[in-house]
Amino acid sequence: MTTQHAQPTSIPVFRKVLVFGGFLALGIAIVGMVVGGLVAGGTGVLSALIGTVMAVVFMGITAASILLANRYAGRESAIGAFFGIVMGGWLLKFVVFLVLLVLLKDQPWINTIVLFLSIIAGVLGSLVVDAIVLFKSRMPYASDVVLPPAPHDD
Amino acid sequence: MDAVTVLAEINGNIATVGYGLAAIGPAIGVGIVVGKTIEGVARQPELAGRLQVLMYIGIAFTEALAFIGIATYFIFV
Repeated sequence: MTTQHAQPTSIPVFRKVLVFGGFLALGIAIVGMVVGGLVAGGTGVLSALIGTVMAVVFMGITAASILLANRYAGRESAIGAFFGIVMGGWLLKFVVFLVLLVLLKDQPWINTIVLFLSIIAGVLGSLVVDAIVLFKSRMPYASDVVLPPAPHDD
Repeated sequence: MDAVTVLAEINGNIATVGYGLAAIGPAIGVGIVVGKTIEGVARQPELAGRLQVLMYIGIAFTEALAFIGIATYFIFV
């Protein structure tokens, strides 16, 4: 008798992480844009918006890559595909992050201090959201398998 | 050529060294987190969902250091 693999139970948790991360991004972007606008005018507003979006998108890519990798659950190469996608996505996002920093650094329409502070606010905020969602999530132990049906009493 | 002369000859942006330093810690941290998760999933595949969540929070906290470390490029140069 073989056990049939179901989808991992972590999927709803990661979806929730992404949704709440989006709400958080909205909140931080609004506050950052107001503060950036007061401090540095138009460039401050734009910098706060870009910084927040960068932080939350790059932090969210991990959860998104785990969701994507979970589509391979139950297959022969599931573990290899999972860690390949998650770690590959991680590497790719840092390369993109570095390239974005190099490109944005010398732009005249960027206030670097506002951008830096909004990136930090976005990163710390998404950590808080991740921690709250994960600690509030309820997941059963041994849960990623579908048990075989009970035998009939003949 | 002594060490001081070699160091004096080095030129370029010192922030690139900062990126290298910022990458060391998260690289080790994420390596440990992912390696231990692979161990756990290999031992008990039915726990993959729970282990993924724990792995995620571990990666998130570790990569936050990397993001902040790399973003300091904006203010320290």
